[in-house]
Amino acid sequence: MMPDIAQTGQVAGERLPQAEVPAVMLEQVSKWYGNIIGMNDISLAISGGVTGLLGPNGAGKSTLFKILAGKLKPSQGTVRLFGIDPWKNTAPFARIGYVSENDALYDWMTALEFVTTLARLYGYTREEARVKAERVLEFVDLKDVMHKEIGKFSKGMRQRVKIAHALVNDPELIILDEPLQGCDPLARTTIMNVIRELGAMGRTVIISSHILEEIERITEQIVILNHGRLLALGNVHAIRDMLDAHPHSIALSTDRPRELGKAFLDHKEVFGVHFPEEGKLIIRTHNLGALHADLPQLITDSGFSVTAIDNPDDNLESILTYLTGGGD
Amino acid sequence: MAEKPRPLHDKVWSKLDRKATAILELTLRQYRTRLSTWAVLSVGVILVLITVLFYIEAMNSEIEAVDNDGDSVDSDGDGYPDGQENLLGTSMNNANSHPGLFDPPIPPDSAEDWINEDGYDFSSAKLGTSQGYDDDGDCRVKIGEVGWSSWVDENRNNISCDYFFEMRGFDLEVIADPNVDEDPDEDAYFKETLHRSFVLGFGKIGFVFVLGIFVPLFLASGLIRDEIADGTLHYLVAKPISRAEILLYRLLGYVALVWPYFIALAVITGIITGFMGPSDGFFRFQDLLVWFGIALAACLLSLAYAALFMTMGTIHKYGMVAAIVFGVWEFAMAMLSIFEPEATVSRLSISHWGMVIVDGFSNMAWPDSQYLIALGESTSRSSDSPWGERIYSDGMPGTEAFSSFFHTTDLTGNPLQDALIASGVLISMVIIMLVIAQSVFKNKEID
Repeated sequence: MMPDIAQTGQVAGERLPQAEVPAVMLEQVSKWYGNIIGMNDISLAISGGVTGLLGPNGAGKSTLFKILAGKLKPSQGTVRLFGIDPWKNTAPFARIGYVSENDALYDWMTALEFVTTLARLYGYTREEARVKAERVLEFVDLKDVMHKEIGKFSKGMRQRVKIAHALVNDPELIILDEPLQGCDPLARTTIMNVIRELGAMGRTVIISSHILEEIERITEQIVILNHGRLLALGNVHAIRDMLDAHPHSIALSTDRPRELGKAFLDHKEVFGVHFPEEGKLIIRTHNLGALHADLPQLITDSGFSVTAIDNPDDNLESILTYLTGGGD
Repeated sequence: MAEKPRPLHDKVWSKLDRKATAILELTLRQYRTRLSTWAVLSVGVILVLITVLFYIEAMNSEIEAVDNDGDSVDSDGDGYPDGQENLLGTSMNNANSHPGLFDPPIPPDSAEDWINEDGYDFSSAKLGTSQGYDDDGDCRVKIGEVGWSSWVDENRNNISCDYFFEMRGFDLEVIADPNVDEDPDEDAYFKETLHRSFVLGFGKIGFVFVLGIFVPLFLASGLIRDEIADGTLHYLVAKPISRAEILLYRLLGYVALVWPYFIALAVITGIITGFMGPSDGFFRFQDLLVWFGIALAACLLSLAYAALFMTMGTIHKYGMVAAIVFGVWEFAMAMLSIFEPEATVSRLSISHWGMVIVDGFSNMAWPDSQYLIALGESTSRSSDSPWGERIYSDGMPGTEAFSSFFHTTDLTGNPLQDALIASGVLISMVIIMLVIAQSVFKNKEID
């Protein structure tokens, strides 16, 4: 038995035998950090398509992903990736790509070296790894900068390097923890396209985010987590309808808030305005979409100058509080 | 086209090997990018070079020659040193008896000719064998003279004018006829013992202990810990590779850096001291075996410490606090191994076994060392010899240093076996620590 010094051999039989098991299966999984609950009794099975994992910061999304990535051991319950416990056996990772929320990379490597080196951990030879690395870097649109050091990359480019590294083994299951966080609009578009394409290729993709709109643009199938518990699971439209019944706010910054407020009260979707501070106007509505559509016209017609438009309410936390009936 | 299935050994070996080389290369390249690596390695090189400079300085200094037997003195003032008069049979106390009155007259020797004139002569020393040669003839001149026969074979081994080594209790002692090798060259003896002391002392303390513990302290403790702290460990962990393999390959990456470093340092120091040291030829070839032992001990010891520190770093990010306490213990045990080799408590340390390896190889390279020490320690051979009384009482210069750094190994009595046992102990320690490390690492949650 001679070691393969020349690294010229072929990788064959890499895939595990295909069985009728879901890519991801969790049964009553809980995770405690001391007295703090990270995940509370979650049961879930995901196979095929793109699934958005939605929840505010601290909801347990990363905990769930870390358990799937074999980084954390569940305190209770059963976790199976392709039927295998990822804490005890690393075999499923041959079929999985994992993108951590952590922004750390080997900054001193070029993108190509990074992806190639890690590809070799799947058992590919140097040459195979390099070919695959170039292919996935092209897929995430980094081919022209792949010889540059990662340390010189922008946040969006770094995210794409991480995604490329997770795709190098042609995974059947791809786990992306907040891949859009901190990215510029262009990088967001690229990454979203990549994820949609992966979904179209028949891969199972799980992507987490704390921003509903992001998830909405990628997939319709969502899972909502809050305080470590599974809140909802299903089509995003059903959840959207619930959300629309929830009162929303839009905040405008203007030098004439009171005059502008009067102009808005005439709109049929607006049920109230108030003035929290100097130069600020908040409009309350039940139909955020409709109001947003009319907003530019209303502002132009009023003739007042508006310096900023915010949705102070439109963060997931407040929606989830509303959904769960919490807060009061 | 159907792919021909590859033979099993190709699958298992080559895949393992690909993962191993990938992590090994990553580890090496990580070292290369870190300033601390270069700092630690350069400090090691500077320390070695400074110490070698001290050695060169000592080798170039001269020890003053001492007339140990006092025969360069001209007691009767006739211009002939006592040694010459004794050899030629004239009286050294009578100014009117000297070789100048011979026919033809013999000119007087200079006093310097009778200093350091009877050096140590011994070869392949063994207990009980006849050693020594009376270079200045002040013993042999008495052979055959009536009344002197018991004097020239005072040690009663039926050989005139020689000496032999005998164990008396735990001490090796010189049993000599008078005036044999009684006026040796202090400088030559000092250079030889100083050279051997330097190789052993610097080898054991500098190479094996100091570099052997500090290099892994800086370069191995972070092998896993730094990856956890940097948040990059998941790139290695969430892969179809077991955590035990990651540990092993990371350690191999460390070995690929540190072993060549130690070997290169030992080779460079060995070459410099081999040329600078006292030698009949141009190079001290017999020292190469000792340097081999030093390099082997440094490599194995630094591997054992590396495995330990990596394990400590894996268990807890502040595991290095324990390493400091442990380092104090190892230092104490290393010193005990060097200066009190009989103490068995030092066997509970890692450093002790490195010292045993160096001792084993130095015993093989310099089998005459104990005899050299015994000769240096012997001060007086015979009280009734005319000038057998040595004028120094603490032994020859250099003896004390050499006897504190050199000892025979005492595990089996065979130096090669002892060195192999010590190597085996160190390798077993590495394996045990890897087993502990992997069971800790396997159950470690990575946040």
